[in-house]
Amino acid sequence: MQSKLEKVVAGLKTGPRFLKELREFDNLVKAIGECKSKAEEDRVISQELELLKQRLSDPKLDKSRGKEYMIRLMYCEILGHDASFAYIKALQFASDPNIYTKKAAYLALTQFLDYNDNLVLLLVNTLLLDMKSDNYLIVCTALVAATRLIGADLVNAVYPVVVERLRHPKEHVRKKAVMALHWFGQLDPRRDGPLAGVELDKHFRTMLCDKDPSVMSASLCALHDCIKVDPRPYKNLIPSFTSILKQVSEHRLPKSYDYHRFPAPFIQIKLLKILAALGAGDRAASENMAAVLHQTLRRATTSHTIGSAIIYECVRTITTIYPNPQLLAAAAESIATFLRSPSHNLRYVGIDALAGITALNPAAAAEHQVAVLDCLEDPDDTLKLKTLELLYKMTKANNIQVIVDKMMGFLSSCTDEHIRKDIVRKVCDLAERYAPSPAWFVTTISEVFRLGGEHVDEADAHRLVRLIAEQDASLHASAVEAYLELLDGESTAAAAAEAVTATASGAVATTPGLPRKKLPETILLVICWVLGEFGHLARRPAQAVLARLVGILNVHKAASDRLRGCLLTALTKLAAHTGGATGPVGQALIQPHDGGVGSAMGRAAGQDAADLVHKCLNSQSLELQQRAHELQALLRCAPAVLSAALPVDASCEEFSPQDLAAVAALPFLEGHVARALAGGAANYLPPEARGGRTGDGGSKGLRFAAYEPAPYAIPLAAASTSYAATGTYDSRSGSGTAAAAAVIVPSASSMTEPQLMVKSAGGRKWGPAQFETDYGPSASSSQAAPVAAAIVPPAPAAAAAPRNTGAHHSRSGSSASLTGQTPSERERLAASLFGGSGSGSTTTAVRPTAAAPLPAGPRQLNGSATATPTRSATAAATTPNPMDLLLDLDVVPPPQQQRPAGPAAVASGTNNGASQPAGDWMASMMAAPPGFMSPAAPPGTLGQVGSGAAAGGSFLGLDIPNGAGGGMMYNIQASRPPQQQAPGGMGMGMPAPMGGIMPTSLQQPHFVQASGLGGGMGVGGPVGYGAAAPPVQLQAWQQQQQLPTGMASGMVAAIRPQQHQQQAGRSADPFGDLLS
Amino acid sequence: MIHFVILMSRQGKVRLAKWYSTYNMKERARVVKEITPMILARPLKLCNFLDWKNIKLIYKRYASLYFVCGVDAGDNELITLEIIHEFVEVLDRYFQNVCELDLIFNFHKAYYILDELLVAGELQEPSKKAIHKHINDQDQLVENAKNGTTEEGQPK
Repeated sequence: MQSKLEKVVAGLKTGPRFLKELREFDNLVKAIGECKSKAEEDRVISQELELLKQRLSDPKLDKSRGKEYMIRLMYCEILGHDASFAYIKALQFASDPNIYTKKAAYLALTQFLDYNDNLVLLLVNTLLLDMKSDNYLIVCTALVAATRLIGADLVNAVYPVVVERLRHPKEHVRKKAVMALHWFGQLDPRRDGPLAGVELDKHFRTMLCDKDPSVMSASLCALHDCIKVDPRPYKNLIPSFTSILKQVSEHRLPKSYDYHRFPAPFIQIKLLKILAALGAGDRAASENMAAVLHQTLRRATTSHTIGSAIIYECVRTITTIYPNPQLLAAAAESIATFLRSPSHNLRYVGIDALAGITALNPAAAAEHQVAVLDCLEDPDDTLKLKTLELLYKMTKANNIQVIVDKMMGFLSSCTDEHIRKDIVRKVCDLAERYAPSPAWFVTTISEVFRLGGEHVDEADAHRLVRLIAEQDASLHASAVEAYLELLDGESTAAAAAEAVTATASGAVATTPGLPRKKLPETILLVICWVLGEFGHLARRPAQAVLARLVGILNVHKAASDRLRGCLLTALTKLAAHTGGATGPVGQALIQPHDGGVGSAMGRAAGQDAADLVHKCLNSQSLELQQRAHELQALLRCAPAVLSAALPVDASCEEFSPQDLAAVAALPFLEGHVARALAGGAANYLPPEARGGRTGDGGSKGLRFAAYEPAPYAIPLAAASTSYAATGTYDSRSGSGTAAAAAVIVPSASSMTEPQLMVKSAGGRKWGPAQFETDYGPSASSSQAAPVAAAIVPPAPAAAAAPRNTGAHHSRSGSSASLTGQTPSERERLAASLFGGSGSGSTTTAVRPTAAAPLPAGPRQLNGSATATPTRSATAAATTPNPMDLLLDLDVVPPPQQQRPAGPAAVASGTNNGASQPAGDWMASMMAAPPGFMSPAAPPGTLGQVGSGAAAGGSFLGLDIPNGAGGGMMYNIQASRPPQQQAPGGMGMGMPAPMGGIMPTSLQQPHFVQASGLGGGMGVGGPVGYGAAAPPVQLQAWQQQQQLPTGMASGMVAAIRPQQHQQQAGRSADPFGDLLS
Repeated sequence: MIHFVILMSRQGKVRLAKWYSTYNMKERARVVKEITPMILARPLKLCNFLDWKNIKLIYKRYASLYFVCGVDAGDNELITLEIIHEFVEVLDRYFQNVCELDLIFNFHKAYYILDELLVAGELQEPSKKAIHKHINDQDQLVENAKNGTTEEGQPK
């Protein structure tokens, strides 16, 4: 320290360049350096700021000292003090003729302000003047300032001047102008804002040919950004890029661009990144760049970090572009050095690169077992996290347990929310894909909930619930025990907290005590459902279960209505399963509010439960009220009625296709529809057939043209606002009705008869009229597609019919009014249940009827469970060595699973007539040839399954996002050659991530219940069938709607199978290019 | 791209901070407050990368100063390290054996140099020679301006 001070002193005396002109600033720095405490420092700065304020507002301000003032201001700001009073002064100094002041002012402005600040407006004129200056240094300064200060609204003011500077004789100016344009491009990457129609990339292309390498490298940055947005227009630049890279790596650039003897490594890496973006998924492009990649990789050595950086970037490029075996081999060879290196940095990038290679060639990781395990054991969290990422990518059914254990270990010690979220997501994903057994899945997911419940996606909770439902009684019992223990633990912790605070129980809610011990709401919903459905299997008496359930509210005083509602339903079910009104639970629940008649043991809990019911009866929430009333009404019913309404363990009931067809046709609505039509209502037209109308409405906010007169003069039924809405349909869509209807429903006998048309946005949200309008879409779809109904799972309200306890109408009506669903929501809901049910039914996966040794009972076993038993058995047999387990990458060739022919055949039969409209609908999605529906295709193959499903979807009018996503997916599957058995994830016997499954659930009615249940997680029975719990159904729909359903899962489906196929080394994938 | 470059002392005092993405004053203070302990607490032997929120921190220690870059999660970590190193090399050559005090007393010069190296979060000048030439030109001009020969520094 002393020596450094001396150096500064010497500098003061001798060096003319430094420190001379800033005496007061030096004094300030020294004063701060001598401060002993933060308070003292703050005082010094405050004094300084006061002084500066005074000086700067002085009219006789000494302009020549502007620079010093600016620097002192910046220094104060760096130390964390506010100097905003001086921004205006800085703006003034920026127009000072003295470059000395000007530069300091610009620097201060770029530090103080950014492009969002309104003050920038005052600077534009100065900036423009400076960009036109004769002095190239001033131009450079102004251009650099523009990259910080010019925002989207000011781009157009400076753009022409900057473009002019591209032809400046000084390469420095040209370079900075390119960077400024690069910045402008970032402001509006899609060129649809202020830069619409501006040909930025033309300038970049021109500058790529600049004779100065610095300018060229600046244009590379800009082009890279453009290419990241959309590579297609730049494919023709590939030869230029490869030739530049070739020349650079051959050392053709001037020596001054060398960096530690490597030729212009920064340019090389930029080029490699660009090539990766251009070559991704493009075979021809990738082949063109293979030679130069090979050369670059060969010429770089690991003698210096920069060489490693080039190699690393090469490997990343090689793994991004279309796979080339030779390049991959070379890449694998070169990262071996990284992994063996003692440097953590190199090992880190080595692991990252290995993850990239493993994705393409699973065998690559095997030879680096030791290195990988070392990294996993490393004390360095960053490295460990990276390794976990690698493991995540190489997880198979045989190593999942170890990997998930490692991840959980990391999760329990990690505190960064972003990382925790990521790990939770990964664990859920893996568990869903490769779970060796249902019991393992249940414990793992519950553990995840405990450790990081706040990050768990609700869809995972649905899967968990569905999986539990699909298993046998022993698992039910163990799940019940596990959850009761979880609740035990929580309530003891809460009690402990209470004891510590030693205050009245009311204070516990306000004490933050033990936030870590509190279970998140999602898992509580799951627990409620499980204990409600299977609580009677618990080893402890029913009253104890009741006490635990009610005790949830003692811990979570601020529980949401949703949780309370689920709790009520759980109590109802528990009572129904344990002897009804005369059972202990039932007694406790229906005892009068203020007189405790419960058995001695369950007295307290029983009293609590009765309190809860009573409170809910008077709740402000209509839903809670309704549930509480239902609870009471059901418990007063005869035992036979009660057990019929809430049968034990009926969440996986199966219905025959005939039953479903009868239900889905919605016959009881036909009279209603006919009445409406007779009353003058218009035909129903699925939204996607409504021509440009919906599109217009969506894309443009306002319409300026007058509306055309209504096509029909409709006597409005006062009760039905929805019909009134149809009346205002303009004639464009009105005239399109017939044509569109013809496209959509040629097979429907009802073509000639008028159909309902429901305006999706219309509709009242309240009152009894809603009931009628609500039925619009489903009624019309049933009319339109009587055959399709065979596949279409029933609309929820209609589904209640078979086991209707008589409360149908009032319940549907009130449930609609409870949530204020509009008809369009209902449609969306239908789609999310049927088309988009992928989110709920993702694990339903392939149903390996042929391969799976499972009882063909009414339960449909979950895909992740069924697909793996054989392999989990082998895994169990070879457990001894964790390393083996972890890195055993032998891909067990999965049994090709023949799809069950029965239901599919049925469906395809019923759907053949409908194939044309479906084709039309799908064509708009993905131009899939409708030909795959040809009757010649063997029944039961995927092509038909998929297309049948798609047809069903279109009949339902699934215009909403979920449906669309689902449709995409079907197309992907359906357009494979019919003979090819299960594609992608399915064929692998792999868990079939997300969407792979959706056709199944659509096509085969068995699955419907299961997936419906998944959607209806917290609560009573299968969606649409639980006669006793309609609000519950509603909730299920809402949940499904909240989920990112079809679209997301469709995309996942589009991506994942590709990976799996590559992992399995299958080359004949006709969709490789499309999907990667 | 690079979101920010921060130079901090071993005591956690910020010596220089350049923000390429938009952070308002509050966010800047929070970023500094959050990353400082993470970086200062890391043992020497571990790797120079840290995952923080959705960005990656690349840091390197030179004597008593930590150079920290926040980059996109998908960026090449090694090249960012080398950008830091190049910055240090340029500083070193300019200040002739740079030390922390040089950067305290002449932080504006350090900013000028950084502006030559990085623009809008991307490396813009791969050649050290060009940077030096440019900075020296600037110094020359400033020198002239100071000596009263302002003709050169006048805008048109």
